[in-house]
Amino acid sequence: MPITILPPKPSRPINNHQHPSEDDVSAASDSDSDAGAAIDQDGDHAMHPPTKRTRLTTTTTISNRTAAAAAAAASIVTPGEQITDDPQWMRGHGTYVAGTAAGSASTITAGSIVSSVAGTVTRTNKLLSVRPLRARYTPEVGDLVVGRIVEVQAKRWRVDVGSTQLAALPLSAINLPGGILRKRTETDELQIRTFFAEGDLLVAEVQQLFGDGGAVLHTRSLKYGKLRNGVFVAVAGMGGGGGVVRSRRQVWTMDAANGGGQIDVVLGVNGYVWISRHVETPEAEAAGKGAAGITNMEESVSTTMYSSQNDRIEVEAMREIARLRGVVTALVENGLRVDEDMVVRGYHEAVEMAMVSPEGSDDIYLGGEKGQQLAAALTGV
Amino acid sequence: MADRRRINGPAGATIPPVFDDASTRGPKSIKSRSRPANATRKMYLKTGVTPSASGSAYLEIETSATPGVSGLKLSCSVHGPRSLPRSAPFSPHIVLSTHVKYAPFATKQRRGYLRDPSERDLGIHLEAALRGAIIADRWPKSGVDIIISIVEGDQDRETSQLQGDEVWDMMNALGGCITVAAAALADAGIDCVDTVAGGVAALVQDAGEDSIPTVVVDPIPSEHEKILAACCIAYLPTRDEVTNLWFRGDLPASDIDLYTNLVEKGIQASKNANRVLVGCLAETIQ
Amino acid sequence: MASSQHVLLSPAELAYLHASLSLTPPIRPDGRSPTQFRPLVAETGILPGTNGSARICFADGTEAIVGVKAEVERTAQRPGEDTIFLEEGGVEGGDDADGDGEAREGVDKRKGDAAWVEMTVEIPGLRDDDSGTAFLSAMLSEALLSDGEFAKRLWINRRFHWKLYLDIILISPPLSYPLPLLSLTSHLALLSTRLPRLKSEGDEDPFFDDDWAAAPYLYPRTTPTTTSSTSPTTTTAATRPPITLLVMAVGNNIIFDPSKEELTVADVALAVSVTSTASSTSKPHTDNADLKEPDTEAGRNLRLLSIRTIDPPSRLTPPGVANAANAAYGANNGAATGATQKMLEAQTAETEAVEGVWKAPRGGAKRRVLGALVQKVLERGGVVDEVLDALEAVDLG
Repeated sequence: MPITILPPKPSRPINNHQHPSEDDVSAASDSDSDAGAAIDQDGDHAMHPPTKRTRLTTTTTISNRTAAAAAAAASIVTPGEQITDDPQWMRGHGTYVAGTAAGSASTITAGSIVSSVAGTVTRTNKLLSVRPLRARYTPEVGDLVVGRIVEVQAKRWRVDVGSTQLAALPLSAINLPGGILRKRTETDELQIRTFFAEGDLLVAEVQQLFGDGGAVLHTRSLKYGKLRNGVFVAVAGMGGGGGVVRSRRQVWTMDAANGGGQIDVVLGVNGYVWISRHVETPEAEAAGKGAAGITNMEESVSTTMYSSQNDRIEVEAMREIARLRGVVTALVENGLRVDEDMVVRGYHEAVEMAMVSPEGSDDIYLGGEKGQQLAAALTGV
Repeated sequence: MADRRRINGPAGATIPPVFDDASTRGPKSIKSRSRPANATRKMYLKTGVTPSASGSAYLEIETSATPGVSGLKLSCSVHGPRSLPRSAPFSPHIVLSTHVKYAPFATKQRRGYLRDPSERDLGIHLEAALRGAIIADRWPKSGVDIIISIVEGDQDRETSQLQGDEVWDMMNALGGCITVAAAALADAGIDCVDTVAGGVAALVQDAGEDSIPTVVVDPIPSEHEKILAACCIAYLPTRDEVTNLWFRGDLPASDIDLYTNLVEKGIQASKNANRVLVGCLAETIQ
Repeated sequence: MASSQHVLLSPAELAYLHASLSLTPPIRPDGRSPTQFRPLVAETGILPGTNGSARICFADGTEAIVGVKAEVERTAQRPGEDTIFLEEGGVEGGDDADGDGEAREGVDKRKGDAAWVEMTVEIPGLRDDDSGTAFLSAMLSEALLSDGEFAKRLWINRRFHWKLYLDIILISPPLSYPLPLLSLTSHLALLSTRLPRLKSEGDEDPFFDDDWAAAPYLYPRTTPTTTSSTSPTTTTAATRPPITLLVMAVGNNIIFDPSKEELTVADVALAVSVTSTASSTSKPHTDNADLKEPDTEAGRNLRLLSIRTIDPPSRLTPPGVANAANAAYGANNGAATGATQKMLEAQTAETEAVEGVWKAPRGGAKRRVLGALVQKVLERGGVVDEVLDALEAVDLG
């Protein structure tokens, strides 16, 4: 059947939890444990008048961490809602301090912390911040991101990382061919487009942040650089139910089923994902031989760093790469988080689904109903 | 879109008085096709007509009513390649922009000064046809403007009323636009893989509702009783490739041969135009 | 600008995509089979203020809404046409003057004009007078009008006609070339369009029935004589509004409903409009006897209405650089080899294709490929049939 046309579903209930099946308590325990704040548990927030909706009233509830964690369903605030009037808290992202000029009719006490976005309250020591439900990526130092060059300037590139601002990649922050320690020359500036040109994809790390939210990237590591031999997929950034979440490992190599060889997956924190065939890096080869010294290794690595030529990729590998891409899109479309655990589990589930499907293991389509099946299998419904 | 800077005429359409004479009273006299079914009309092509432009060409196609009198008149000028404005993003290829404009007096119904949707549509067809022909990566970071004015449309001036032929006229105009633009591009010295030329073919029904339709090249709407389908093709003869295909009409889908035949005839018309084009370019060089 | 918007992809991505789509069978990035469409959600009759409406959305959130509104308009009288003053009242019987009166009674006097249909396409992020929008709306209205039959449906009498406004709105900037989405949505909207029932007769000022339930459909429904088991609907329209499909070719593979990335590596892309008509209508040029046989059997008479080449964005993509010619490749130090690099760069523009290196295609499409594309679309029992079947199953409310 080439086309499936579905009737519209009744509007989907808004659900912020990663595990819609499980009850709120356990859902909160895995991701939002530090959001432990005392909240009314009746789940009937909207019915309260604003004055009664003060979430953090006393320090005793806060200090009672176990009680808070047990009661920690995601505490959702909306813009203009007072979070606390206790002066001991510090204002973080997504909040502001109400001015003293508030009129007598105002329900907000002067000096209290008020939410400025709709999202969940997060507490870090004495810092209160509100994480928006859905937002564009906000870079943080040390983030591993996948980006696309959109502009080449005299001494730097402008990179789209899905943030509010284009990130900058200075020429001085890349490894130049011919060894890491080579000095930057004028010739390099003239040939800036031979390293990265418009449209090129790269994986990099956020090195520094500007005040306006713009990021400075660097690729001064052997694991960073231009991307090739694979496919790109942009999913929603962080926040919300779906999308890539910050985790311990954003890059890994996994064994593909059906003779697909090894596949690299790069989950950029910004929600850009790169799935490619694993290429034995010369560094590993050199290590295998045991002969090459450290300087040799640096030089050989930089040979492939700026290549835009793909290696020969087997059909099986392409099929498994497409299957992995399908897994990632299915996770996003069904509002699940994208991290190593979910992707690997989803992939194995998808391989098994294909085994039993009438089309055989070559069937890699994971859209529509199949994606929902996959998501259901992962969440254990 | 109304032009507010000028004093416009009345908004509603007015119809000129038509005097009752024998030719309008009787049923519309069907002119028969003056040429064999696979013959194109004569055309005149000359390059280098606009000295100020980088390249230019002028095309005339003989009209239907009286042989030897020109119908379609097209003038094309090419400006460029020139560097893109500073604000434009980097482009590894030449940036092509095409403008096709009917002169206000080119057709029976007066055209405005602003380009209407059908002219924009022609511009896009032309762009698709030319983009396949030029070698775009020879000219990075540069742009070229191709401007075609249709000085005179190919319409039968003897009938008093519009006959719904405008869509078919557009195809004829596009065929001419492609040929003249290719000549102007060659005149401007922009690298092309091959000379592209436009050709039109149509499936017509000449003898009543139930007659067997025939395929003709280079159709003139007023010469035929009914046009069932037509296609305009931009063709690269030495590479045997089609850069633009525009078909419209109403054909049974089960009869693919009819369609194939139509396309073949369109390519034949395009080859004819191409011979004129190559001859003209050779003549210019000598 | 090109007829399809430009997508920024890296040469390595393009080379990979092109390689995977050139395989037999092709591996599409989203795992679909070559003829498979993206799943979509469709409903009709969503706007009570219109004569007909529909909404379609894709899983990626792209959504189109079409509303059809009709207004009564006075037909401009042109001299030379048979004027109405002399022969009022005698209209009904007037046809007998023709020899073949009963063969096409009452049909022949209906005349249509392309100006009776006004189609607008609104795409957020594009200007109203953008060429791409003009191209899309020209393509859609061309398909609707090219059989010359549609405008006749809007005929009321010789003095009045319906003016049909078809407004297509995309809710968000499109994530892929929006043509199939717009076409399928307007197809459903037109199918669900109803015009008030005419109560007046002859050429008097039109007067309509207030009862909306009695309003006939613009595309009349018939109860199928042979009940098709798949569609639960009791009535189907014999003649259907056109649908426009986007087809592209990479190598020898023909791929339907390409996504944005896939279109970027297309060798050639075509928009093909087809419709299905009631097989019984005696169209003047279907009189080849051999055509009739399969038509009656399949119950659907497909007609080809228009084809347009979509300028594929592949020609605007940045070319890749082969390792052999890459200045930044290998351990050569950049300072010394400026001159040789110039030479190498000049060479790469001309060298033949290296495996794994993307190169923007030049020239047009091979004639054979174009023919194969069209043939694949028009194939009996092929994709078009299944799409029409699926659209038929949509509840028209």
